[in-house]
Amino acid sequence: MVTPESIQASITAGIDCTHCTVVGDGHHFEALVVAQAFEGLRSVRRHQLVYAALGDRMREEIHALSMKTLTPDEWKA
Amino acid sequence: MSVQDRIKETVTSNPVVLYMKGTPQFPQCGFSSTAVQILKHLGVQNLHTVNVLEDAEIRQGIKEYANWPTIPQLYIRGEFIGGCDIMKEMFQSGELKKELEGL
Repeated sequence: MVTPESIQASITAGIDCTHCTVVGDGHHFEALVVAQAFEGLRSVRRHQLVYAALGDRMREEIHALSMKTLTPDEWKA
Repeated sequence: MSVQDRIKETVTSNPVVLYMKGTPQFPQCGFSSTAVQILKHLGVQNLHTVNVLEDAEIRQGIKEYANWPTIPQLYIRGEFIGGCDIMKEMFQSGELKKELEGL
């Protein structure tokens, strides 16, 4: 079964996050990703970066992932 | 016609296209259901939906088309807008309403 911890590990391996939490029940997951790399990007590009970090796992293992993608400044606000 | 060409033709010949699981009447996934409800709430009249569960080629091809691995996917005027989370964000901020103006 896919664990939230393993998703978190994949995201943090691909993106330099200042904060990353993933919760989920093995089928549905929710992620909060805070990274400087999101600065100046629209949500669609931010989500694409997270999907890129997850790579083939998005195709093969993970079926439902909601996410919030914030810059450190947005997260503080 | 290749799958990518078929998708391009669909999204450019319809002003608002939602690739989803199921139909607006019978969505087969919670995210697709939410996406439809947002568009209905915004009063979209000319929504064109594609049920990816009926076409395996499209289901795979649409993920490559937008470099986006999940469904639903919303296109307005041929441009990829995002999935369910982004639709929710843009609905709450009023951006989605703006994108749909004039259609």
